[in-house]
Amino acid sequence: MAKNQALFDAICHGNRPETVEIVGGIVADGGDAVEALMDSMIPAMRQIGDQFARNEVYVPEMLIAARAMQAGLDILDPVLSTAGHEPIAKVAVGTVRGDLHDIGKNMVAMMLRGAGFEVVDLGVDCDLEKWQQAVDDGSQALCCSALLTTTMPYMETIVEHFRSSETKIIIGGAPITEAFAQKIGADGFSEDANGAVSAVEACLGISA
Amino acid sequence: MTPLERWLAVLNRQKTDRVPTDYWATQEASLNLRRHLGLETMRAVFEHLEIDCVVSVAPRYTGPTLAADADAFGCRYQTVDYGTGHYRECVHNPLAGYDNLDAIKADYTWPSPDWYDYGGIEAQIEGWEDYPVRGGGSEPFLIYKNLRGQQQAFIDLIENPDIVHYCLDRLFGLAYANSSRIYETLPGRVNLSYVAEDMGSQTGLMMSLAHIREFLLPRMKRAVDLAHEAGAFVFHHNDGGIRDVLPDLIDLGIDVLNPIQWRCKGMEREALKRDFGGDLVFHGAVDNQQTLAFGTVEEVRAEVRDHIEILGAGGGYILAPCHNIQAVSPPENIVALYEAAREFAATSA
Repeated sequence: MAKNQALFDAICHGNRPETVEIVGGIVADGGDAVEALMDSMIPAMRQIGDQFARNEVYVPEMLIAARAMQAGLDILDPVLSTAGHEPIAKVAVGTVRGDLHDIGKNMVAMMLRGAGFEVVDLGVDCDLEKWQQAVDDGSQALCCSALLTTTMPYMETIVEHFRSSETKIIIGGAPITEAFAQKIGADGFSEDANGAVSAVEACLGISA
Repeated sequence: MTPLERWLAVLNRQKTDRVPTDYWATQEASLNLRRHLGLETMRAVFEHLEIDCVVSVAPRYTGPTLAADADAFGCRYQTVDYGTGHYRECVHNPLAGYDNLDAIKADYTWPSPDWYDYGGIEAQIEGWEDYPVRGGGSEPFLIYKNLRGQQQAFIDLIENPDIVHYCLDRLFGLAYANSSRIYETLPGRVNLSYVAEDMGSQTGLMMSLAHIREFLLPRMKRAVDLAHEAGAFVFHHNDGGIRDVLPDLIDLGIDVLNPIQWRCKGMEREALKRDFGGDLVFHGAVDNQQTLAFGTVEEVRAEVRDHIEILGAGGGYILAPCHNIQAVSPPENIVALYEAAREFAATSA
């Protein structure tokens, strides 16, 4: 049971208006924003992510849940900052150079935000310059996505570039496998958006 | 046997001399292959490698003038260079900003079947009498995603079902009219109808069975029935891990299942053959994500042998790449694919 079951359910069901109403009410009443985030909203995204991994819900349900979550976060973020709540870590996500496919990358971004990370979405067709800029701006991990066999080799270029740094590289996308991740020396791999959260947590030494 | 005879034998569950083959590749992969073989045309490649390829027919667009980067639906595209080749990606979705059906009806002009000329279709198969012909079919949700944007199209299934129903009715209607005209132009000569839709990801279905049954299957049924009435087999393309929808698709009447991405969850070849081999002819399977792109010649040969033994046991299989061979694939691997197909392809059909 979540502390605020109505909020938990609103996010799980992708009910953006209800999420906005509940979160807005918490903020207006001076309620505990951190508790709402940690004890109801993040668990809701974790549940939807687990259901997605088990093929119990699908892309449409994930998208509307993530959108409801984001709507709640948009209201909470200023209050969380004031309360001194820090994101778990800062992570950049993007699709690699030459690749414009982003729905999987977007879902990873949604799940990471839903898990409490600060996420910088670099968009698509990201070359080394964009990834380096993200690290220069404070990203501790880079989540790189590719849909095509023709663009996935660029992931090795990214890994090579950051090999001597502390930056963690996590990769994913339809043609990506654990074997490929190991071959190029990536720090982590995930076969879906839900697993990306666990992979990032593992790479950064964060317990779930 | 000619390629056409070979295909028809497999589709009609009769004996063949060997498992038929097919060819799907990007332009860059094909150019690399022609250079590797020292051949000028793809026809020469097909004859050299004994590929039983399919000839596709399509009408000529004769509607209102289109911008160079646009299609008849108003979607706009960008050519994206990924180093070893390029892809044409949709970057403008004309129905992206709409949140109600009445506004779409008021603002948007659908393409008309009369914008297409079918007069040149007969010429497209001249000289290809020994090869199967593919014409007509449908893949409307693909177009819908380009019209609304990828994410909004999926969200619409839950939040804007009226928009989905309206647009799919129009898109399936266009496809039906196109298919009808092709079958009328080539009576009895169209062997395959491409009734397609991508429902799977690497790990399972992208949308629920409930949504597939509500929005897609009833409309696909019309396309399937039209193809069968014209004497064509239904070639159903459906990427990814789509095992859960196969019983529905078999009930619908599909004949051929493509592409058989066996690395995806639920698409293990032995189980597919065991559970659905009596109802479906399998097409594809040779992995283009790893084997053809990054594997060795020996790995390609071994995979071809496995496909023939597993998916081709007792017939019911047409060997091909599981989608377009990508530009990164060494031409030696492509040659190995088709040479192994000849070597191992004695069928027990």
